[in-house]
Amino acid sequence: MKKQFARNLGYSAIAVIAFIATSAVIHAILPPIVPKGVAAKLEFFAQHKDEFDTILVGTSSIYYSVSPEIFDQTTRENGLPTRTFNFGIDAMHPPENFYVLDQILKTQPRNLKWVFLETANVETKLHKVLGTERAVYWHDWPRTALTLRKALNPRGDARWYIKVSRLWVARRDLAAHLTLFAQRFGNVGRATEFLFPQDRKAEANLELGPRRDGYRLAGHSMSAQDAASFQRRLADEIARARPKPLDPCADEAYRNYAARFREIGATPLFIVPPLIFQSPVNFRQSSPGPLLSFNDARTYPMLFDTKVRIDDAHLTKEGAEEFTRLLAQEFLRRARQL
Amino acid sequence: MLFVEFRFFWFFLAVFAVYWSLRENRSRKIWLLVCSYFFYACWNWKFLFLIIASSGLDYLVGTMLARTEDPRARRGWLILSLTANLGTIAFFKYYNFFVTSAAALLEWLGLPASLHTLNIVIPVGVSFYTFHSMSYTIDVYRRKLKPVSSVIDLACFIGFFPQMVAGPIVRASAFLPQLKNIRRFAEVDARGALILFLTGFIKKACIADAVAPFVDRYFEAPWNFTMPSAWVAVLFYAIQIYCDFSGYTDMAIATAGLLGYQLPINFRFPYFAANISDFWHRWHISLSTWLRDYLYIPLGGSRGRAWFVYRNIMITMLLGGLWHGGAWTFVIWGGLHGLALIVHREWQRRMEGRAPSRPLPTLGESMDATAGGPPKRGIMGWLAWALTVYWVCLAWIFFRAVDLPHAAPALRSFLFLPSGGTEDLGAWMLWIVAVLGFIHWLNFRGTFSAWWRRLPDPVFAAGYGCAFAVVLLFIPPHYAPFIYFQF
Repeated sequence: MKKQFARNLGYSAIAVIAFIATSAVIHAILPPIVPKGVAAKLEFFAQHKDEFDTILVGTSSIYYSVSPEIFDQTTRENGLPTRTFNFGIDAMHPPENFYVLDQILKTQPRNLKWVFLETANVETKLHKVLGTERAVYWHDWPRTALTLRKALNPRGDARWYIKVSRLWVARRDLAAHLTLFAQRFGNVGRATEFLFPQDRKAEANLELGPRRDGYRLAGHSMSAQDAASFQRRLADEIARARPKPLDPCADEAYRNYAARFREIGATPLFIVPPLIFQSPVNFRQSSPGPLLSFNDARTYPMLFDTKVRIDDAHLTKEGAEEFTRLLAQEFLRRARQL
Repeated sequence: MLFVEFRFFWFFLAVFAVYWSLRENRSRKIWLLVCSYFFYACWNWKFLFLIIASSGLDYLVGTMLARTEDPRARRGWLILSLTANLGTIAFFKYYNFFVTSAAALLEWLGLPASLHTLNIVIPVGVSFYTFHSMSYTIDVYRRKLKPVSSVIDLACFIGFFPQMVAGPIVRASAFLPQLKNIRRFAEVDARGALILFLTGFIKKACIADAVAPFVDRYFEAPWNFTMPSAWVAVLFYAIQIYCDFSGYTDMAIATAGLLGYQLPINFRFPYFAANISDFWHRWHISLSTWLRDYLYIPLGGSRGRAWFVYRNIMITMLLGGLWHGGAWTFVIWGGLHGLALIVHREWQRRMEGRAPSRPLPTLGESMDATAGGPPKRGIMGWLAWALTVYWVCLAWIFFRAVDLPHAAPALRSFLFLPSGGTEDLGAWMLWIVAVLGFIHWLNFRGTFSAWWRRLPDPVFAAGYGCAFAVVLLFIPPHYAPFIYFQF
């Protein structure tokens, strides 16, 4: 009886090992998944990496709010010319942005001098609207492990029994991220990419923007009703604003990427775009690079005027131009201090 | 929780490991019951009470039926069970259908009425577990089955998670005896069950879900599409529903098999049926035999004059159609099959004589169903086959369409009448139908039926792991829920 049990266990182990080995081999053979919304910018940058010396990596708050054309014009006029590419991608929060940073580093850009990184905490919730492919592609083990660490120990100081209790509290997030990791490792559905290839040219043109610098406009200013609500919430946010250190997972990851960009000769700078959330974001110890915070309505009232805002996180054309100029000026000031 | 979901793997691993490590039969049954209720609660825990209530009531009815010999009292208890079970289905599935149909009829008679429909959520698998439950009380009433002594046994039978939500519809007389004795893993055909699970997984995840987007696109606005597109969509739907449902059933049988329980097979290559009667011996076998034994035969069955038999066939098929849901499209689907069965019966009566009836097949037969290959057919046989498939596909139009206005353009195109639409799904996709049909035919001939049985155990284990890794590659990105879950 025991012999038979051991034998069955052995066969199960053989099946699992064969599954893992086959999946690993297939995974190694297949090119990495690059979902729509990300593919255009990654592929374009890989082809033109040496043409740019400045990149801005972040969410849609960067994508629709920083015009490389205006940024370069401002820096040129002030004697520190740059050639900028906007790497902002819709809803690309940490740790997805870290995966994209890895892909950027893999291209070994030779002329990169300045890297702007939008600074935010690691997100453990998934944005389902982005679709499965977008959720799966960045779930390699380092990113999955980072997310699990954040889910189990959000403030970084939890004792073991708190972590155990978090297993239950965060069970849905843990299960979702582990499933996505398994889905990525198991190459689920990868054959369809080859059986039914999609033409992404039109999408790519849209995502790269009219000047092919990664910037595009988002929309029009908010309605009177939304403006009133925005002003009310902004006042609340200002009243509640308290300095908030980054979560330990994000802090550690940003330091790591700052060091890696320095290794290739680039200087990392950290930005907090003009979001409605007014609490100053800080690194836990000394900042790994200059931190440029624009989520401060008292210092930058022009960026929080409802005429230049689409919503809590996005600016209109006029707002984006204003923000880009302010960013470039702040960059010039900091760059001269370095 | 679905069989193709990642979390089902972990769920089943836990069920399997704990189940086989328990020594006592009673502990195992309790464990199975807890797991089954958890499985159902993952969908909606509130409806769990319906299953518990149904199990409790039918246990009481079974016990009371055994205690009394008074025919009136016995009939009373049976009516109570049937009323409760059919009442549950009627309320959840048919309330809105009857209300809207009654309102439409009154309006047609010139008596417009304002009747209110309810926003009812249909409990998953309600048609399946109530049929399980009813088979118990009816069999106890007919004295074909002794009532269970333990409510856990009955609850386990009604709530057994592999078959609870989408069948196969298991008879109490076939399942309850299996709960009596402790199962031994050495008696389990693990290899057969694993292959059956993989087959079901491929059917559902790789084939049914892959063709589903094309079918959905067509049936959303069939008037926009060309005639070849209608053919692609209808044939794809025939593939989808077969692979979806039989895939689910294969996985259910395999899952139960790994726990040592046998469930009856539900499908036996239905699209290779020689005629419409043969089709119903091959399609959703557990429902067709249930309807035969608990509806058709009590109505009088095949005894009596021809018109009387045809009436019985038509009632059975119309109610069979209605079983799938409260919509006239399902009634028409049942009616079309009833009509075809009557025509075939009349034809057979005049030309060939009666075909022998077949017993309900089991898992063992499922694995050996292909042994010996298909029967030889002449030209007339092939014509009959083509006509059967055509009629079945034509009926699927009503089964799939959301309402009659959506069914009409698809039907017109399927009858080779010109379609006004210009959108195209791609007629080349008919090749996919041909390729899948060829693979299915090879399977029908038994090409894949047994070679894997001859492999040494370690080779089979390694091959199974590799095969699963390769199968995962072909899962389409868009997941489609199991079609029969809505029934």
